[in-house]
Amino acid sequence: MRSIRFAAALAAMLIAALLLGGCKDSTPSGPVAGMGNTTVTKYVAIGNSLTAGYQSGGLFQSGQIYSYPNLIAGQLNLAGASVGSFEMPLYSDPGTPDPKTGKASRYEILSMTGPVIGPAGAPPGAPINLTLARPYDNLGIPGAVIYDFLDTTSFLAKAGPPRNNPLFSLVLRNAVMGKNILEQARALHPDLVTFWLGNNDVLGYATSGGVSPSAPTSSAVFGALYAQALGALRAALPNAKIVVANIPNVTCIPYFTTVGPRVAASLPAGYYLRYQKHGNTSLAFDSTRFTEATPPFITLPGQTYALLIGHPSGKWYRDNGVALPAGIDTTKPFGLHPQNPWPDALMLDADEQAVAAGAVSAFNGIIASQASVNGAAVVDINLFFTGIKANGLLVSGQEFTADYVSGGLFSLDGVHPSSRGQAVVANEFLRVINGKFGTSIPMVDVGTVPGIPSPLAKGAAGLQVDPSLYQTMQDLFGSSR
Amino acid sequence: MNLARRVTLSFALSGMLAVEAVAGGFQLNEHGARAMAQAGAFVARASDGSAVFFNPAGLAFQDQISVYGGVTAVIPTVSFYGPLQNNTNAKTQAPNQFFSPINAYVTYPAFERLHVGIGVNNPYGLGSEWPDTWIGRYLTTYVSLHSFYFSPTVSYKITDDLAVGGGFNYVTGSVSLERAVAIPLQAADGDPKVTLDLTGHGYGWNAGALYKITRDISIGASYRSSVKMDASGTASFNPNYAPLDLPAGGVTTSIKLPATAFAGLAWTPAGEKYQIEADYQWIGWSSYNQLAFTFQADGSQVIQPKNYSDTYILRIGGEYALGDFRIRGGYLFDHSPVSTEYVDPILPDANRNGINLGLGYSFSKEFSVDVAYLLLLFNERKAVNTTPTVNFDGTYHTHVSLFGVNLGYSI
Repeated sequence: MRSIRFAAALAAMLIAALLLGGCKDSTPSGPVAGMGNTTVTKYVAIGNSLTAGYQSGGLFQSGQIYSYPNLIAGQLNLAGASVGSFEMPLYSDPGTPDPKTGKASRYEILSMTGPVIGPAGAPPGAPINLTLARPYDNLGIPGAVIYDFLDTTSFLAKAGPPRNNPLFSLVLRNAVMGKNILEQARALHPDLVTFWLGNNDVLGYATSGGVSPSAPTSSAVFGALYAQALGALRAALPNAKIVVANIPNVTCIPYFTTVGPRVAASLPAGYYLRYQKHGNTSLAFDSTRFTEATPPFITLPGQTYALLIGHPSGKWYRDNGVALPAGIDTTKPFGLHPQNPWPDALMLDADEQAVAAGAVSAFNGIIASQASVNGAAVVDINLFFTGIKANGLLVSGQEFTADYVSGGLFSLDGVHPSSRGQAVVANEFLRVINGKFGTSIPMVDVGTVPGIPSPLAKGAAGLQVDPSLYQTMQDLFGSSR
Repeated sequence: MNLARRVTLSFALSGMLAVEAVAGGFQLNEHGARAMAQAGAFVARASDGSAVFFNPAGLAFQDQISVYGGVTAVIPTVSFYGPLQNNTNAKTQAPNQFFSPINAYVTYPAFERLHVGIGVNNPYGLGSEWPDTWIGRYLTTYVSLHSFYFSPTVSYKITDDLAVGGGFNYVTGSVSLERAVAIPLQAADGDPKVTLDLTGHGYGWNAGALYKITRDISIGASYRSSVKMDASGTASFNPNYAPLDLPAGGVTTSIKLPATAFAGLAWTPAGEKYQIEADYQWIGWSSYNQLAFTFQADGSQVIQPKNYSDTYILRIGGEYALGDFRIRGGYLFDHSPVSTEYVDPILPDANRNGINLGLGYSFSKEFSVDVAYLLLLFNERKAVNTTPTVNFDGTYHTHVSLFGVNLGYSI
């Protein structure tokens, strides 16, 4: 009897508890995916290798699909923009060939011991979207400079000297669809265009250590070309939303920041790195004492040659078919002796850094003012990457940095973003688009984008980057004018 | 390759935040179903074995040998909307979790004025869990905290109306923290998870006083010291990609569980069927200055400044005798120690209102049972402008159901 009374009372309490606890969870206020009052039915991306999704020294499908334009197109569709299928000049893995070897130029992690990074020597892939009967939506052409936007020179001609760039033909294919990038973009009638050109007007200078070309595009020329290009784009598409991105300072990229600190740390006390001063073909050398705090800007391909510092070596000249400059004696200790200095082409010295920084600053000023003149939004990618270089970037709990490989944002060539780096760039574009055009497009979940493929097999200590990276970057940027 | 160290450091930062938060918001105040049913407003009465926790002075007024023990089922429901950094309000529902803190007390009136008792309970013992693939997986996927307080206690009746008491606390505890790491390389098995498992122990003390001002009114106050837990453990990776040299290894830290104090006023009119009590509980988070992790592999240390402030809980509850039954109820307001910019999914803390219900029933003179239900309704918590180490804004919705049952036997 007592038990029954207790059970009844307990049941009554439980019912009261359930009534209390059964409250319904309602969605809180927050962003709702949508395009606001902005209509986007066609999106076209104009640019260079960064826009094409070129990474790790090659253009290949598994990287192209994570190019920031393709990611942006996907997010636009999520927000209800219905831009449809975003077409790209896909090139099957392992991607485009190195013109000299005929093998895929793509750099891979060949061994985690080190790691050892270089081309795997595999046969190249092939174009797989050649039959599309209209221009591609991604008109990013690796190697393109600002001049190329309006240039109507035959694409095939650009595959020969002096450009030696076969990728214009891959992307633009047929002059019937438009004789230059602008005409092909206009033919697609986009209402949203991203325009990110100009990087290569300084990158070729920087990645070649200030050697080839021996100067960035002059700011006067750049200013004229950029004004002409953006003005023509605006005239061709008077109602389109145009978003331009500026040029990141080259000193943010691991191509320049990876090897120098190692060299500075490894030099014995009392030894100076002697390097060939920019612009000096005769023997005039600088003997700046670099420290780990202020390391030299040695390029990533210089890593191989850094191992030879202090040894008699002429490997750099042999590897690159460079005639020995007068007065160079390769029996002297490489990099330490005034007669066998560190080659100019493998270092961006202080004067060259100033030249590059000056060009970036001037170009970005031009980009900002022309964007204003032509009613375009600006993505300050320079500010964005400067911030990452200084502080890293925390995305949903994961820290990314501008460090080579370990930072997660740069691909194995040390210049171009990895797939995750592309996702971060896409989100920066989307942030500007949302702010400027009143849209509410969701961002890419960076963690769902794959990392750099690797064998995950254990190896020995010491980074090894194949020195052919110098030539690969030269092919891409060096002779681009 | 600086990868290993990078992973270590970023893990360490996240791990530290976690332990700090865990110790903070995962405080449990349900240590006996009778008190729980009255919103934990019990310091001015402390009339059962849970006096060992609420106010040791209460033991001196208990003239029987008693055994009082039980368990509380804690069932949280947590969802997150966001993150705003991704311009999304998408909902992530945390998996259902279940916690079962226990409490057990034995009291003995050893001498006329000096009574003793011993208790074991879990003042900190909750956790949080999120789906393995959720967007915040690099912040946290799983946290679990366990602690056991062993508290031998004495109580002395100075006069017939005034008693004091005190106890010693030996505390053992463990914490497990898990999150995913986006290694820069594409890994066949997906993101590795890093788990930090720590165990530790520490000592503390508590004291209290209870004074019956009149036949009908009593006041009580108690204080429980902070406990510095020296903890050590290991960080481990799964899968552990051997070539990355992920820094699995030893980690030491010390975690400070905060001091807390109760003060209350009870109205227990003789000859009436009801009693009622109102309490104020203070929790001393501000004494908590920093948390430092030391990695044994290289001796490196990472220090995180604390960011909590003192906080409080208001409690009011009572009971009504109806035949063999005691019908109980109460209300509490619990003020979160975590400021908005530090709210993260490890502990989506918020101010909360608690509604308590309960029953007591005596089967015989010796044997009784208490049941209690507590519904904790968390205010909607907007995490905005979270710190650079969190950078994960959005909205958290939480409510928690707690079911407590205790059995008592006294002779």
